[in-house]
Amino acid sequence: MKMQKVKQLARDFWYGKPHKERRLGDLYIPKTGLYKHREWRGFMDTMYYFNRIWLYNYGMLVYDVMRYGGPVPLMKGIWRYRWVGQTYLTVMHWFDRGFEGMRGEAMKATGWHYRAMVNETIRQFMRMFTADANLHGGKHNEKWHHTIAHDETVAGAIFYPWRDRMDDVPLQMIPYFVTCHVNCHTVLNYIDAAQSIGLPGDPCPMCQAEAGLSILDDMPDYFPFLVTSNEACDGSVGTSILQDWAYDKPLFAMPQPMQFDDPLVQKHCRREIEECWKFIEEQTGLPMNWDLFVEYIEKYNQLTLFEREKWDVAANTPYYPINSVAQALYRIYYSQDGYRDIWAQTDRKVKKIMYRCVEKKIETFPETRHRVLAWSCAPLYYSHWCTWAYNCWGLNTIMNMDSLMFDIVMRTDTKEHLMEDFTIYNEWAPMRRMAVGGYKHIFEIWENMERFNCDMVMMYDQVQCKGMQGITGMFEDEFRKRNIHAIWMPHALPDSRTVSRAEIRRIVNDYMFTVMHEEPLDPTLLEFDDSMSW
Amino acid sequence: MRDLKHLIFFEDLLQEANNELVKQAKGEGKRALGYTCYFMPEVLLDLPGCFGVRLRAPRCTSPDIATYYMSGRTCHYGRSLLERALEGGYNFLDAQMATETCTVTCRFQEHLQMMDLIQNPDFFCEFSDVPFKKTENSYEHYREQLRAHVLKPLAERFGIDTSDEALMRTIEEHNEVCRLISEIGEYRKLDNPPITGYEFHVIQLVTLVCPKYLILPYLRETAEELRGREADAKPWFRCKVMLAGSENDDPGFTQLIEGCGAMVVADRYCYGSMPGREEIVVADGQEPLDAIARHYLKTGMCPRFMGQDEMRGRKKQLADIAKEYHADGIIVESNKFCEYWSYERTINTIVLKRDFGIPVCSIEKEYINSASGQLRTRFQAFIESIEIKKIQEGK
Repeated sequence: MKMQKVKQLARDFWYGKPHKERRLGDLYIPKTGLYKHREWRGFMDTMYYFNRIWLYNYGMLVYDVMRYGGPVPLMKGIWRYRWVGQTYLTVMHWFDRGFEGMRGEAMKATGWHYRAMVNETIRQFMRMFTADANLHGGKHNEKWHHTIAHDETVAGAIFYPWRDRMDDVPLQMIPYFVTCHVNCHTVLNYIDAAQSIGLPGDPCPMCQAEAGLSILDDMPDYFPFLVTSNEACDGSVGTSILQDWAYDKPLFAMPQPMQFDDPLVQKHCRREIEECWKFIEEQTGLPMNWDLFVEYIEKYNQLTLFEREKWDVAANTPYYPINSVAQALYRIYYSQDGYRDIWAQTDRKVKKIMYRCVEKKIETFPETRHRVLAWSCAPLYYSHWCTWAYNCWGLNTIMNMDSLMFDIVMRTDTKEHLMEDFTIYNEWAPMRRMAVGGYKHIFEIWENMERFNCDMVMMYDQVQCKGMQGITGMFEDEFRKRNIHAIWMPHALPDSRTVSRAEIRRIVNDYMFTVMHEEPLDPTLLEFDDSMSW
Repeated sequence: MRDLKHLIFFEDLLQEANNELVKQAKGEGKRALGYTCYFMPEVLLDLPGCFGVRLRAPRCTSPDIATYYMSGRTCHYGRSLLERALEGGYNFLDAQMATETCTVTCRFQEHLQMMDLIQNPDFFCEFSDVPFKKTENSYEHYREQLRAHVLKPLAERFGIDTSDEALMRTIEEHNEVCRLISEIGEYRKLDNPPITGYEFHVIQLVTLVCPKYLILPYLRETAEELRGREADAKPWFRCKVMLAGSENDDPGFTQLIEGCGAMVVADRYCYGSMPGREEIVVADGQEPLDAIARHYLKTGMCPRFMGQDEMRGRKKQLADIAKEYHADGIIVESNKFCEYWSYERTINTIVLKRDFGIPVCSIEKEYINSASGQLRTRFQAFIESIEIKKIQEGK
C-alpha cells in the first residue's frame, strides 16, 4: 500500500495528477480567485509554465516597456489613467486563469498567443503615452502628430498605407477591451460614468464603457484626428456622438452598410474607404502609399491562411493545441488590429507546435466530452469560462463566432481586385458579419456546427445586445427543431455585476446535470466564490 | 375652441392599422405597402396602384408572444409590431418595404421574412440599405437602393407604373399633403394657436397611415375649417414646448403633456412632421427619384447620421425650431431600449441647456404609456420650472 502511494506520488510529481484527480477548485482562496499555491502540472510542464510562460512574460513586460518608450511614460500613464494601474500588474493572473489545468503542447501554443497579445497591448499603450499631450504639459510632440486614432471597430487595415510614417492606435482596444479581460472591475467605473450623465442602463455596456472613458477624460490625448464607425450596432453610432462631443477633433465617420450581401452596397462601401483615405491625406498632408498597402495586405493574407489551417485542424482532429480563450482573443485581436510583426512571429512558433501535434497525434484536450460551438458575443469578464468548462465538464469550445470574421484572402494581382476584396473584408467586421448583418448570417451557426464537428452550442446571451435579443425566439425554435443541445449563457459583455461568473457557472452546471445527466470531471470546480477576483 | 369636424373620424382611423380608408383602398384593388421608417420614402409607396401604410400597433400593451421571439429587452415598439403581425393585424399588407435603420425594427421585419406571418400569398419583404451620412456617395447609394429595392420589385411583382411621369404625379399629390399639413402646423407659431398639439398630432398621423388620395379631401376640409377657427380668448396652456425624440405614434402622449398645461408646438420625432412634411422639389432636368433620395436624406434628422457636421448640427436644428415656434422648453423623449435616442437624448439634455439656454425635460417612455401618473408628475414639474424661470426673467 505504501509502495503504491509512493508510486502515485512519483507519478504526480513527474506527470501531474490525472484530470479527474486534480481538484483545481481547492487551490482558490475564497472570493479572490487567487491561488493558495500554484498548480503542479508535472515536473516538465511546471518548469515550462514557470520559466517559459510566467517568468518569461514577466521579463518581457519589462523589456517591452523599455523598448517602446521606457519607464517614465509608463509611470506617468499609471499615475494619470486609472485603467493602466488597475490592469497592468494583474496581467500574470490573467495568464493563470486562462491556463488552468493546461498541459503539454496546448499550454505551449496557447502561451505564445498570450505573449503576442501582451506585447501588442504594451506597444499600443506606450505609443499612447509617448504621444500623449496630457503627459507632456499639453504640448503636441512629433508622435502626437504621427498617430491616428480610430474606433476599435474600425479595421486597422484601413491605415496600412501610412504604416511607414504614421502609427494607428485604436481608441478603446486597450483602455476598454483588454482591461475587461485582465481586471473585470476596471471597466465598471466607466459604465457608471456614462450613466451618471443620464444615459439609461440598457444600451450595450461596451458602448457605455467606451463613452465613459471620454466622459471621465481618461483617454490619452495622443492624436490629431480620429476615424469612427457604425460597427457594430446602434450603440456604436451613439458612442461616436459622445466621443465627438468629448474630443472635439476632426472626425471621419466611416459607416459600413448594414445589408452587406447586396452587391449594390459594394461601390458605396468602397467609396467610403476611399473618402476616409482622402480625409487622412488632408489631415496629415501625407499621400497614401499604395505599394505599402499591398505589402501589408499580402502579409496579412498569410495570417489568414494559417488561421484557416488552424481551423481545419480544430475541425477535423483532436490535435488542435490552442485553448479556446486564446483562440478567441488572439483572433479578434490581430484581425481587428491588422498586421503586426508579432502576429507573424507567433504564428511561426504555433505552426511548429501544431504540426508536431498532428504528426505525433498528440491529443491536446483528451478529456473532451462535447465539442462546443460558442455563438454570438462573449462575456469579456469571463472569457476564461471555457477553461473552466473544459476542466469541470469536458466541454471543449472548438470555435466561436467572432473568430470567423474577416475571413477572406484578398487578391492583390490588380487594384480592382484588391479594392473589391478589401471592401468585403471591411464589411465582414466583428459582430456585423453575423450578429447584426441580417438574420441569414446569424443562422450560419448550423453550417459551422457541421464544419467544426460540434455537438453542442454555447449560446452567448448578451442581455443588452438589441440585435441578438431581437432574435432569441427564432434560435429557440431552431434548436428544438434540430434537436441541438444549447446552453444559453446570459451576460452583459463587460459588466460583471449584471450576471456574475458564479451565475454563469451555475447555469452550465444545471444544464449538465439535469439535461445531459452527466457528472463533473472535477467536482471542486462546480461552485466557488470568485466574486472579488480580477 | 369649436371641435374639428373630422377629429373623431381621424381618431377612429388610428385605432387599427387596417382602418376604414385602408380597407376602401384595398377594395379598390390597390396594393398596401407597409413601412416603419422615414427613410423608406412614403412618396414611392403612393405610386398609382399602391399606397403606403406606416405601421403602428395601437392599443398593444402586452406583446407576450413577440417577447418570446424578441425578448423583453428590446424596444416595445418593435415588439408590438411583431405581436400585431402575429395576431394577424397586418394580413392586409401586400408587401413590407423594409429598412435596417434601427436594430429592432429591422429584426421585426426579418421576422416577417422568416416566419411566413402575413397571410397573403403575394406578400414579400424587401430591404433597402440606408446610408449613415449625407455625402454625394450617400445620395447616389440611396437612390440606387430605392431603385433596386422599391421601384423594381413594385414594377415586377405588382405591375406598378414607376416611370418618371408617374413619380412626378405622386410627388405632386404628396406635396399637396405636405402643404396642407404645413399650413395647419404653422398655426402653432401663433401666440394663441387655434389648434392643439394633440389635434395636430392626430392629423399628421392619419396622413401616414391612410392612402393619400383618400385622406386628402378630409385634410382640405380641415385646413379650410382651421382658416376660420378662432382660439379661445384666454390661452388654455401655461407654456409652450417642443417634443423631440424617438418613435412616437401615440397622440395620447401629446395629450398627456397638454393635460399638464404645456402646448406641444413642434413635433420632431419619428412619425412627426419635422421632418416629413417638407415639399419635394424636383429641379429642371433632375430625375424625380434623385430628387426624392436627396430630399429624404437631406431633411432627415435621425441620430443614426454620424457625419461630424450632422451630429453637431442636429442640436442647433432643434434649438432653431424651438425658437421659430416660440417653445419655452423642449421635452426630449426616447423609447426604452432605443439605443440611438438614448445617446441623443442624453447629449441633447446637456447641450441644449448649456449651449442654447433652453430648458430641457428628458424622459424615457414606453411605446404605450401606461405609467402616465409618473410622466404627469415629471411634466408638471417641468412646466412649473419654466413658469418660475419666466417669473424670474420678469416676463
